[in-house]
Order: sequence, then structure tokens, then C-alpha cells
Amino acid sequence: MPGKLKSKWIGPYTIVGIRTNGAVEIQGSAPNFVPFLVNGHRVKVYRDNSELTEVTIDSTSKLNEDLLQVSLSAFAFLFSELVQYNQIQVDNIAELERRLEDAGYAVGARVLELLCHREKGNRRETRLLGILSFIHSTVWKVLFGKVADSLEKGTEHEDEYMISEKELLVNRFISIPKDMGAFNCGAFVAGIVRGVLDNAGFPAVVTAHFVPVDGHHRPRTTILIKFAEEVLQREARLG
Amino acid sequence: MSEGMIVCVAVVGHQNNPLYIQSFTKGDDSLKLHHIVHCSLDVVDERANNPKKSGLITNETFLGLLNPTENYKVYGYLTNTKVKFILVSTDLEVRDVDARVFFGRFHTAYIDAVSNPFHIPGKKITSRKFAERVSTMVKSFGLSSGG
Repeated sequence: MPGKLKSKWIGPYTIVGIRTNGAVEIQGSAPNFVPFLVNGHRVKVYRDNSELTEVTIDSTSKLNEDLLQVSLSAFAFLFSELVQYNQIQVDNIAELERRLEDAGYAVGARVLELLCHREKGNRRETRLLGILSFIHSTVWKVLFGKVADSLEKGTEHEDEYMISEKELLVNRFISIPKDMGAFNCGAFVAGIVRGVLDNAGFPAVVTAHFVPVDGHHRPRTTILIKFAEEVLQREARLG
Repeated sequence: MSEGMIVCVAVVGHQNNPLYIQSFTKGDDSLKLHHIVHCSLDVVDERANNPKKSGLITNETFLGLLNPTENYKVYGYLTNTKVKFILVSTDLEVRDVDARVFFGRFHTAYIDAVSNPFHIPGKKITSRKFAERVSTMVKSFGLSSGG
């Protein structure tokens, strides 16, 4: 399309390296083999069905004014460093999950404060469904760029709720070795959710699980939220 | 028209533990101001937990005038993590709107201070930048409502 309707993006390019200041080294497909450096803000993730991280460059080089965004590759790199750093310090999987969760908790507490202030309405959630839908849409949108795939109520227990995601962003570039079994880096996201719930006055135990799905070879990730007794009693009192 | 003077601002955590308290008077009555802040916490708790009795909307952040004592006006603001901001002013003609605007800016400064990964939630806010920002806001508050 000519003129102003033309897409401003060129690419796709492949990331071959990430610098600490946020710049990324990218390389086009053959015949140009020389990788070049570009500001991380000028690239966005190219989504197609392949497994590689491909990016496209904004050729008008306009920065995103309203909300500052972190480049996906910079985050993936930092997160993998976080996991590795904790991994060498612990002996077992449960401890590693707990550490990731604690890291997420700190994020969740701050995110709650920040988001409620940014939202125009700025009301304090006092109902269970209110806070759950706040997490499912607003928090997820700000952190991961989209709302969560689904929010369900547990069938067996009154106090359980589940948020599911086909491909959790933090797990996207991580593959779990077979000897680590049920370990899930989604423990970080479970920690974020717990941080939000706890500071909003809804204490809960939050864990992340892999749920195999028929037809897909990668399992779905489910964040399981089990609310404390007092939350259910208060909810029942409020009617 | 009297000068708008904020004499004290305070940030109190959800367990009523003080996170930041700063008085802006020249005199030595900071203890009295701490006492006023402490008393107003009860009013905040009452408004937050018994909405049906006082008939207010339950989840507004700005709580408004808490208790007008002889010389001071005390305003309250409740964030969604149950952290309370208290504002004590000597100006008897402070308008609600000014207090709301002040709390909005104060909330932003608070969030910036808390987002610091080295800040431990539940402990006092020790950031110098936060203290400077608060001082600037207090000074400009006086000028805008006095004119």
C-alpha cells in the first residue's frame, strides 16, 4: 500500500545478542551476515508460529510515549539470570519455587499500588470477584500485554479459583529439564498474584501448575488460588 | 485571607505503623502533631470498616475532613493497600479540591518511593528524594490556596 497506509515496520530480523543497556544485536536473513545494533525500544516481537525470537524494526523510530515498555528479550534475559542465580543457591526444587515466588510477591505488592493509582476510578476492591477480575484483566494486561486466557472457579472446593494461560510469558523461553519434574517458573507469576491479593486484603495461597492439554504438546499453565478462611467468611457476610 | 499552611503530613501503614511523618512548623510542637495524627487514625478506621453506619461510599480513596479541632483541619486518604495518608493544616479555609489534588500528587510520590526495590515494605520510608518532593509539594500548596 502506498503512502500513509504503508506499514512502518521492516523485518523480520533475528536477535543474536542483547546488551545490558537495552540495545539488541540483530541480523537479517542471508545474504547479510553482519549483525548490527539497534535500540531495544525500536523493535517489537514478531509473532508467527516459529520458535525463534524474531523482531521487526520500527523504521520511523517513534518511541511509545504514554507507557514505557520493556523489550521482551531484555526481560527474558533478566528473568533467566534470576532463575539461574537462585538455582545455584538452593538444593531442592521446593526452595527454588519459594524464592521465585518471594521475588514475585515484591513485584505484586508494588504493582497493586501503582495500578490502582493509574486507573481513573481508583476504587478499593472489597469483593472477591472484583479483585479476581482486576488481576485477570488489568494486572495481566499491564504486565504481559494481554488479558489472561481464562478465569475459572474450582468445582471441588469453594475457596479455589484458577487463572489459566496457554503460554505464560515467563515460561516462553524456558525449557524444564526432565529431572526437575514438576517445577514451573510460573512460580514467579504465582508470587505476583499472591502479592496483589495479600496487599489488597485477600490472603491466599497461590501456586503454578502445568496442565497437559490434548492436541498441544506444550502444557497450559494454571495459577491456582486458594483463599484463606477469613476471606470466604467476610465474603459471605457482605452478601 | 489567612495563609494556607500545612503543618504535618504522615503516611501510616495498614497495621497503623508509621511509615513517614514530617512536620513543617518552625515551633517545637511536633509531638502534639503526632498526637493529632494518631487520633485521626481512629476516625479513618471507623470510616473504612463501618461504611453502612456513616452512609458513605465504601471504596473511595479520599476520605475528606476527618475531625475539625480548634486550630487544625485534618484530611485523610486511604489507598487500596490500606495505607493511610494524613494531612494536618492550620488554614481554616482549605478547600476539599486542594486537598484532593495534594493527595493525588502525594500518592504518586509515595508510589515512586515504594517502587524502589531496596525499600522494605512495612519499614519507614528513608528516601531523601521522597522527602524533598514532599517539601516542594507542601510549599506550593500554601501558595496556590492563599491566592
